[in-house]
Amino acid sequence: MTKQHHIQLEAGDVGRYVLMPGDPGRVEVIARHLDNAKHIATNREYVTYTGFLDGVKVSVTSTGIGCPSAAIALEELVRVGADTFIRVGTSGAIQPGTKSDELAIITGAIRDEGTSLHYMPAEFPAVANLEIVQALRRAAAASKTPFRLGITQSKDSFYGEVEPERSGVPDRLLKRWKAWEIGGAICSEMESSTLFVVASILGVRAGGIMVMWADGDFKGLDSLIETAIGGVRELIKGDNNGDS
Amino acid sequence: METADGKQYHVNLKRGDVGKYVLLPGDPGRCEAIAALFDNPVHVTQNREYNTYTGTLDGVKVSVTSTGIGCPSAAIAIEELVLVGADTFIRVGTSGHIQKDIKSGELAIINAAIRDEGTSLHYMPIEFPAIADIDLVLALQRAAKKTGAKYRTGITQSKDSFYGQHEPERMGVGPDLLNRWKAWEIGGALCSEMEASALFVIASMLRVRAGGVMMVHGVDPMPPLDILLQTSVQALREIIAEDKANGRAVEL
Repeated sequence: MTKQHHIQLEAGDVGRYVLMPGDPGRVEVIARHLDNAKHIATNREYVTYTGFLDGVKVSVTSTGIGCPSAAIALEELVRVGADTFIRVGTSGAIQPGTKSDELAIITGAIRDEGTSLHYMPAEFPAVANLEIVQALRRAAAASKTPFRLGITQSKDSFYGEVEPERSGVPDRLLKRWKAWEIGGAICSEMESSTLFVVASILGVRAGGIMVMWADGDFKGLDSLIETAIGGVRELIKGDNNGDS
Repeated sequence: METADGKQYHVNLKRGDVGKYVLLPGDPGRCEAIAALFDNPVHVTQNREYNTYTGTLDGVKVSVTSTGIGCPSAAIAIEELVLVGADTFIRVGTSGHIQKDIKSGELAIINAAIRDEGTSLHYMPIEFPAIADIDLVLALQRAAKKTGAKYRTGITQSKDSFYGQHEPERMGVGPDLLNRWKAWEIGGALCSEMEASALFVIASMLRVRAGGVMMVHGVDPMPPLDILLQTSVQALREIIAEDKANGRAVEL
């Protein structure tokens, strides 16, 4: 069997469940939470480890930053047999009053990027899979981890968010940021919307959990990974019970 | 916008007239049949396409208000209902099938909507997702299991033109309509109706909860709507019970 072009994986290399950080350097840190984790492949920004949770094969593959590389990761992972994806990453808080130890469990995403438009018209909603949202909520509740449930903005420009005034379209960026706040969006990152839209087309499940930069800090990185792992365990339990 | 007698301009309701929980059919003529499933239903008012009954379920005040057809009138209904104290909305209606294997009479429990309409653009840029409240999605799923309804959970297309869907070939933008319909099918959307997306976007902005359940019209004739109405009313019971368990206020 040939390997997928970018991720350098073939059928059997990964489990049904895949955690997807943006940062290739974070894959190993997450993989430490799996049993018998092994490094499978590294190519470009795509690093993959596979191990086990409760005896079930689970993988971690990085997406790199941004929807273009995340779309490739998801497409190729589906071709090698994965069908359940949880993005695990960092984000900026949108709502005033957000605390840096709060996690964001994502229900839907603002399609403020170019990649998903190659898949579906802009009117189509980027919505997280319900079973994943519930699994992450149960995991967070079980560990008493504070979290917000809501919408993320998925954008194409990091510096457009953090330094809008030096962009050529500052008014547009600032007006739209205000709109996302009014609309109740909780955080801003760079991959979720495309993962959700592509997952809808491919008939697979995708969700996301993020730590939020607030008060000049990320306090929730450890609880982020623990909650994501807890979410996968909940999904495995639910899938074994025939919930999906 | 209030009139001199303290009532909202279009729905003709004032605080106290409705409960926190409101079912939203499109058709004013369907409100009475839904209200018949409440305890002690009372007809409150009718103005334009906005017809309202209020009763109780498990001792908690609940209402049904029609929205009329389309997002423009539905947006007015939810805005004014929130101003008189409602905060939990379930759209109850009929829809056309997008996925070809759906049979007439199946229910679509909506988790998100395609914003194929003009109203929600007056509220949020197009990239913002129209997402149903997840606890209402779960309540509707529990309700459907209890009523025995056959259901799927997924995305609806909310459109502005009924005849653009049913007779696209006679429209000036016919090819675009057909291409986009194909896109919704590829994207996995279940059904097509005319109100959900604006309700969801406005609910996000107003920090209230909105969900929806639609009976889907497939190729065959539609069966009676009884199980749709029963499921929507049971979903209110489910969310009321959950709110009570979580210590959330169930009365204004």
